[in-house]
Amino acid sequence: MTTSVRNQFGSVILRGLLWVWIALTLVPLVWMFTTSVKPEGMAQTIPPTWIFPPTLDHYRGVLEGESVSAFAPLLLHSAVVALGSTALALVLGLMAAYALARVRFAGKQKLAMWILSTLMFPPVVSVVPVFIMAGRLDIIDRYPTLIVPYAAFNLPIVIWTLRSSIRQVPEEIEDAALIDGASRFEIIWRIILPLSAPGIATAGILSMLLAWNEFLFALTLTRSEVKTAPIGINEFTGMFGTQWGSLTAAATTIVLPVVLMALLLRRHLIEGLTLGAVK
Amino acid sequence: MANTLSTAGAARRAAPATGAPASTRARRDTNNRLGWALVTPAVAVLLALTIFPAAYLLYASFRRFNLMQPEAAQFVGLDNYRNIVANADLRHSLWVTILFVVVAVAIEFALGLGLALLLAKQSRANTIASTILILPLAVTPVVSALIWRELFNPNFGWVNYYLRRVGIMEEPIAWLSQPGTAWFALISLDVWQWTPFVALILMAGLQGIPPEPKEAAAVDGAQGWRLFWDVVFPMLRPFAAIAILLRTLEAFKTFGTIRVLTGGGPGISTEIINLTIYRTALQDFSVGAAAALGISFLVFLSIVVPQMLRVLARNSDLVEG
Repeated sequence: MTTSVRNQFGSVILRGLLWVWIALTLVPLVWMFTTSVKPEGMAQTIPPTWIFPPTLDHYRGVLEGESVSAFAPLLLHSAVVALGSTALALVLGLMAAYALARVRFAGKQKLAMWILSTLMFPPVVSVVPVFIMAGRLDIIDRYPTLIVPYAAFNLPIVIWTLRSSIRQVPEEIEDAALIDGASRFEIIWRIILPLSAPGIATAGILSMLLAWNEFLFALTLTRSEVKTAPIGINEFTGMFGTQWGSLTAAATTIVLPVVLMALLLRRHLIEGLTLGAVK
Repeated sequence: MANTLSTAGAARRAAPATGAPASTRARRDTNNRLGWALVTPAVAVLLALTIFPAAYLLYASFRRFNLMQPEAAQFVGLDNYRNIVANADLRHSLWVTILFVVVAVAIEFALGLGLALLLAKQSRANTIASTILILPLAVTPVVSALIWRELFNPNFGWVNYYLRRVGIMEEPIAWLSQPGTAWFALISLDVWQWTPFVALILMAGLQGIPPEPKEAAAVDGAQGWRLFWDVVFPMLRPFAAIAILLRTLEAFKTFGTIRVLTGGGPGISTEIINLTIYRTALQDFSVGAAAALGISFLVFLSIVVPQMLRVLARNSDLVEG
């Protein structure tokens, strides 16, 4: 009897701690959002101001501003880089994943492990040579200089996720198409692509997230033409002695698209977290 | 996630592999050509961003090479490596890197496992909770670091204000100005952002565990911790292994958050090796010295990571063909 009372008491405490953690998870985001809609001068009051007339002025300033703080172009650069690198990673990744899932060729097993092992490669080790080479080739501050490295970082994730979802497509369908005279590319395009759509969605989300949020390569390889949003927001603090209203408004515009995407496609995202390595 | 933890692997192993009737050499050659043709573009991109830079760095690590005077570069043998061994600051940076990764991943795993166990039972409340848990995963790390900087601001930060308000501390703390508290801020940021990653993977694992073994063990009298360690955890092990592996790999790549939150400071107390390499190469322009550090870091990772992969492979069907 006493054990069960103690167990119940324990589980109430644990549930309580769970909700404390969930609440703490929200605090930083609540701070960001409330600060972004607080009128000028209320951002840094102590004690914090909780009752205030909300304003969209900071968003207007950040999105429409002509000044250095203009943020819309940076969001556009980020979008181009994220979409471009995701598309590239998906195309190259789908081809490789198909081969690794379905074609029996020499060295396949070792190759798959090597591809996975590139995940451990620290970006800071590749950024220095890439910076030097890009400088010599005069391609700093151009889209491909970010798109290709981001695609490379995402390839192991994309390939492993897609390989596992291609394996779940019944082979009989493919065999039937082969007998009907379809080429391998037709098979990938007409059969594998539509049937592994959930895996492609998963791989796509993961690689969009990484590219949209990346900092190191963007910091090193962009100046102004393709400067991405995470670099721009970091400069807010230095240049104007930190206007927290504008900074948090800009932060919200960076975070909102990816957070919404993650929430809408949460099932795919969670499945992708294990790279399809465990099912 | 499908609950086919063991069965899917077994079924797939039992099924004949594609192209298995490669009875003729011609057929095998066609497959080899097709396979390599399909993987070549991806492999080329990967080589360009891993092996090529590593080879270049290896070359640069034997030279004294200042980015501002590339023409004055000269061969110096192992000097750059000797300097790593001799320089206490560089040893410190390697050491704090390992410390950061181990502490952060350990805390994230412990908390993530707790969260997963509490959230595994499906209910409306748990769905809401796990939806909220997804949020930090998507937040741009630089943005979370900026948020942290302001939350831990000694004068206007919520942390100082509310901790004093609830009576946990008396005096305001200048969190980012002392090594100990700066580390606390950094680790708390990493834990906030990535504990959900571990929790969601483990949750998927828990939800895939069939109820029968648990029920059978319960009938045999297993309870609480015994039930967990002897019955549940063994089935969770592949998920635990991949969560720890992926989190460790990512933690070793941490750059933006630390650069924005502490900049490696105060002093060099939070300067993990990624920041040191970046500063040495792109702010001090000593490419040779940075290259030697980078190569040492790579060697370290390529000793540690394959060990982890081996453990992972033993615990999942990761390497199954």
